[in-house]
Amino acid sequence: MTRDQIETILQKTVSFSEGDQTEAILYGGTSYLTGFANNYIHRNVGENNYSLSVRVAFGKKIGSASVNDFSEGALKDVVKRAVEIARLQRENPNFVSFAKPEASENRDFFNEKTAKVTPDMRAAYVKKILDKSKEKGLNANGTFVIDLMQIGILNSLGVSRFGSLTIASLKSVILGDNSSGYSKEVSTNVDDISVDSIIKESIGITEMGKNPEAVEPGKYEVVLSPYSLAEFINSLMYFSLNARAVEEGTSFLTGNFGKKILGGNITMYDDGLSPETIPMPFDFEGVPKKKVIFFENGVAKDVVYDTMTAYKNGKESTGHSLPQPSAYSPYPMNVIMAGGDLSKDEIISHVEHGLYIHRFWYTNPMDPRRAVITGMTRDGLFLIENGRITKPVKNMRFTESIITALNNCIELSKEKKVIYDDSSITVPYVRIKDFTFTSITEF
Amino acid sequence: MQRIIEEALIAAKKFGASYADVRVVDRAEEEISTKNGSVDGIKSSTSKGLGIRVISDGAWGFSSSFILNEAEASRVAEEAVNIAKASAKTKIEDVTLGEIEIYQDRVEEQIKVDPFSVPINKKISILLDADKLMNVQGIILRRGGMFFSKEWKTFASSEGAYLELERVISSAGITAVATDGKDVQTRNYPASFGGDFQRKGFEFIEEVKLHESAERISQEAVQLLSAKPCPSGKMDIILESSQLALQIHESCGHPTELDRVLGEEASFAGTSFLTPEKLGRFKYGSDIVNIVADATAPFAIGGFAYDDEGVKAKKIYLVKNGEFVGYLNSRETSKKLSLAPMGAMRAEGWNRAPIIRMTSINLEPGDKTFEELVSGIDNGVLMATNKSWSIDQKRLNFQFGTEIGWEIKNGKVQDMVKNPTYSGIAYEFWRSCDGIGNKDYFHIWGVPNCGKGEPMQVMQVSHGASYARFRNIQVGVLQ
Repeated sequence: MTRDQIETILQKTVSFSEGDQTEAILYGGTSYLTGFANNYIHRNVGENNYSLSVRVAFGKKIGSASVNDFSEGALKDVVKRAVEIARLQRENPNFVSFAKPEASENRDFFNEKTAKVTPDMRAAYVKKILDKSKEKGLNANGTFVIDLMQIGILNSLGVSRFGSLTIASLKSVILGDNSSGYSKEVSTNVDDISVDSIIKESIGITEMGKNPEAVEPGKYEVVLSPYSLAEFINSLMYFSLNARAVEEGTSFLTGNFGKKILGGNITMYDDGLSPETIPMPFDFEGVPKKKVIFFENGVAKDVVYDTMTAYKNGKESTGHSLPQPSAYSPYPMNVIMAGGDLSKDEIISHVEHGLYIHRFWYTNPMDPRRAVITGMTRDGLFLIENGRITKPVKNMRFTESIITALNNCIELSKEKKVIYDDSSITVPYVRIKDFTFTSITEF
Repeated sequence: MQRIIEEALIAAKKFGASYADVRVVDRAEEEISTKNGSVDGIKSSTSKGLGIRVISDGAWGFSSSFILNEAEASRVAEEAVNIAKASAKTKIEDVTLGEIEIYQDRVEEQIKVDPFSVPINKKISILLDADKLMNVQGIILRRGGMFFSKEWKTFASSEGAYLELERVISSAGITAVATDGKDVQTRNYPASFGGDFQRKGFEFIEEVKLHESAERISQEAVQLLSAKPCPSGKMDIILESSQLALQIHESCGHPTELDRVLGEEASFAGTSFLTPEKLGRFKYGSDIVNIVADATAPFAIGGFAYDDEGVKAKKIYLVKNGEFVGYLNSRETSKKLSLAPMGAMRAEGWNRAPIIRMTSINLEPGDKTFEELVSGIDNGVLMATNKSWSIDQKRLNFQFGTEIGWEIKNGKVQDMVKNPTYSGIAYEFWRSCDGIGNKDYFHIWGVPNCGKGEPMQVMQVSHGASYARFRNIQVGVLQ
């Protein structure tokens, strides 16, 4: 859809409402995914979809409804449904108002070259990985995704926003006879994606990982890659770093603001407009993204808010609402961890006896309040001896508190990587002592 | 609608498809959530569109759109064919499909009360009544939720299939969270992940009887704060049926998906230890373990009349008398192993291509009463309601946690214990099963949140189970 079409639909929708306050959000776009497995493209799909969400408030009673049909009749019907729900609703004591207008810079992150990638071009990128994999006698798997997204927001209080974003994301998972390797790059600009570096990393890890040997579970000093550290941070985003988790008592930050609860070298924040992230200038209520510092030199500082949690806590929204109503909102979408001064290789060289972990898999919280999670290693686990990676190791299960791990973080690298999977996490390599592995698996 | 579908199939053929199928899906959903005595959110949503899947030049292509008219159907068909032709540039062999019987049919869901005809006030009242009962000392968070969906799907293929299928889902569940400032403990009813889900109308909400268990789960959450930690070590365990459902899901359902087995999900979900040479030659569990994939199970949300390739719903054995004997498959993957298509291809909606999904994967009941299972244990733990889950990408090493447990000493259920966890290797675990509860305890649980595929598809599946006893299992990680 064009920007004009989106804005016209939003204006009509809001005009049809008799509510005290009305909010309309239209988002969607086109999305393409070329999937490959066993050295050929086995799945290749496209989608054209938009959704209009309407919220109507009468006093403290809110109703919401959504639709993906934008005919005039459908727009009137979706508003009517939201109005009916609001009228039948009970009052929500925490509701004060939808978002109010705030001045902010309008920025767009739409890249024309990314938008013009065709199915043939996606196949050509993928074919480079497949050809190299076949040449090496390996098995290539992965995806190449092109997303073209638009979002328009209008409310009866005067909030009016429009943004568009392109995302190109190429992932390679290479399987050998008894090893595997992983690499992924993401950017708003498809030209930033380097197929060669993806091939080098994913095939390199697979070849290094041949014939792994089992080691005993227990405590190890570890070097986590950005892929594995991002899995940790992802858990925190859900059950710790937002006002909902603090209010519901699942966050380890509850009662700890202003206290030093992580290592002094841990600084972590959310910044939707940083050049280090896949950007987003405003949230799903139209509130501009504000930089929120979670931890500064290990001291707990703040969490993210949407309008509802902000009003309830006497704060301002930080611009971190998901599409409402949502049991998961507010949510940080652009988390960044400050790096250190060392290179990845220097960090590894400081490990006398430990493990390099390329990726975690299937991590899940066991005890959110203590931030204890469990998960498996995957696609690259190696023994480090006397500062060098010496041999591949069979995968193991870890069970560890993120608080403990981030207190035991000895070093951080200056290199950082953007890990993106619906939300953006930018993190360095880290060296952590006394990391707990609890069992092994057969491969 | 028929003209749009015909146009899609004609256009696909015109642009070069050797096979095409079209799905038009029109779905309405309603979600109500309450929190601490208030309504947290009510959302009514509708979504419709069409998806076209084609084979052209021997390779797959799929495209989809929210615009439902003949011109868009033709455009989407052309895009699907162009995508397939791009896929073909890397093909190793042509896609071929297993033979199936072709049906024309119309199937309506057999419900008693249309959940969309019930006033929202009534639904809110049921949740807030339960909320009041959960409001006991020590509880900091009370949640309640209901979800309803109703869809009409039309499936048509270039082979002549034409199916019109209705699907109605209802669900309800409540959660109580207790804290003493140091520890947090949670109890859900009737199960985790939003409660229980069935292909029924509003009558299901009446059957769930939230008010009968609301106070109990709050009291249990508070009691867990001061309960002793679950013991650690090797011991016997009994799993209650909703936790067993999760065990079946992760350690039998996923590894029997033939697309995983053949490496088609290696980039994300992973592969499987149940490789083809093991079919009919691998002792998956003890002799009493019988696990079926049953898409015909009444009211089960893993059930349906026809899958998204037009294959009629079937019941097959995955594990029979402990032997691994069957896969969940598609027309394409079944052909690769010379198996019969069993109908497990499902798409989350009109905008996704179908992939192999679990249907209703059920552990058949045994012959034991609960008392008989307990009386055979000198030292063990009874565990109930899933809290955490993790399993490796080949589905071997797992570690699961439950919300609540009770010690079993000398054949009797004793004290409550908190943070129970158990772990093992999938087939070793099922081989240690030496007792399964009888049909009186059997229940098919709706699991609405099974994630798989790229792009991600969240699927409604289900699992039937009663109690089961497992010997000499590693219990406990958290101290």
